Amino acid sequence: MFSIQQASALKGGSPLGAGLVQASRSLHTSSQSLAPVPPLPEKGGKVRHGLIPEEFFQLLYPKTGVTGPYMLGTGLILYMLSKEIYVINHETIAALTIGAIAVYGIKKFGPDVAAFADKLNEEKVAQFQEVKDHAMSSLVQAIENEKKEQWRVDGRSMLFDAKRNNVAMMLETNYRERLHMVTNEVKRRLDYQIALQNLHRRMELEHMVNWVEKSVISSISPQQEKESIAKCITDLKALAKTTQAKATA
Amino acid sequence: MMVNSFSQFESPVFLTIPLILLALILPWAFYPSPSPRWLSNRTLTLQNWFIGRFAKQLLASSTPKVHLWATLLVSLMLYIISLNLLGMLPYTFTPTTQLSMNMGLAVPLWLATVLVGFRNQPTLSLAHLLPEGTPTLLVPVLIIIETISLLIRPFALGVRLTANLTAGHLLIQLIATATLAFMSIMPAIATLTSILLLLLTLLEIAVAMIQAYVFVLLLSLYLQENS
Repeated sequence: MFSIQQASALKGGSPLGAGLVQASRSLHTSSQSLAPVPPLPEKGGKVRHGLIPEEFFQLLYPKTGVTGPYMLGTGLILYMLSKEIYVINHETIAALTIGAIAVYGIKKFGPDVAAFADKLNEEKVAQFQEVKDHAMSSLVQAIENEKKEQWRVDGRSMLFDAKRNNVAMMLETNYRERLHMVTNEVKRRLDYQIALQNLHRRMELEHMVNWVEKSVISSISPQQEKESIAKCITDLKALAKTTQAKATA
Repeated sequence: MMVNSFSQFESPVFLTIPLILLALILPWAFYPSPSPRWLSNRTLTLQNWFIGRFAKQLLASSTPKVHLWATLLVSLMLYIISLNLLGMLPYTFTPTTQLSMNMGLAVPLWLATVLVGFRNQPTLSLAHLLPEGTPTLLVPVLIIIETISLLIRPFALGVRLTANLTAGHLLIQLIATATLAFMSIMPAIATLTSILLLLLTLLEIAVAMIQAYVFVLLLSLYLQENS
């Protein structure tokens, strides 16, 4: 607003009015300096023969056709030479030499230099692009990981069922083991009782037998013993005789 | 007002307006200023790359104190190289052919390196006047010789640049005149001299760039020695 007021005040004034407006406008004080700059054009302006802009040829084309500017150029050069406005001297030769070197240099090394400059810019862009791509790929990876975690959480109930089954089986196994143990212990106790009873019976039997033997032996008097022994001897003799007789017969 | 071979080196005056200021300011027009864009056009990209590369190469092996001189040395190099190369164009005036200008560049800068050295580390700067490992007998003589070589440095810097450029321009003018003179008499000889002129111009372009680089390199060496 300030500059517009200044412009209106000074515009009608001296020829320096426009320049004064520009001179009094301070640099980078308003927030307009923070606005994004418009993008650069992709290619530079078209130039013919490396020096003359294409627009000049287009300007003269409607009136003088294609050869117009060339006629103009040739005419100008011939005019300056013939009227000796431009005198050919040693500088002309030096100019031709420098011109030849310049044209040769630009034609030969121009595309390489341009490609190098483009490569510098491309490298800058590629660096930042790589950072951006890396960030994006890590985010995509994070999304996939999250989805996988969600799927894992869904399978949680199956996990609990399996765990529950496991625990039930363990309990069952433990119960059966204890049952077995109880059975075995009870059987052992009963076997013990049986063995004890058997032992009792046998001991009673043996005792009885020993008592009977002892009483029988004590009841045999010595007379009876002698008689029995004599009888045994006569029986033996008789037996011996019969066997002898059998053996010889 | 005699016209001789040296009249091309007279300071240009047009209708009593001295044009030397224009000749001195002209290189400023050829360097685009850094833009606020992140990616700029080819000219600016190449300029930035060149300046960065040159500064790194010149000051790589020096202390951070020397790096304070980077702006001065790089801009001096760009100025001299553009003055020299613009002087290769026909009908231009090369300010670096004037001894006054080159001494004006060399003496203050050389003196600055010496004074910086004497101010910050006077013992070491004085010690530079005697190289290591000299036999005791030669010490007085060598100190005198080193002092003379120290004091002659600004003259060497200035005169080197002046002489190289003046000689180159003179040769170009003479051989071009010879070519022009022979063109009407013996065109064959004119062809030979024009080939000679071509080679000479190539040499002169190389010399223009090398002399600028040498000027700045020597200054940076004097600075490193003294810092």
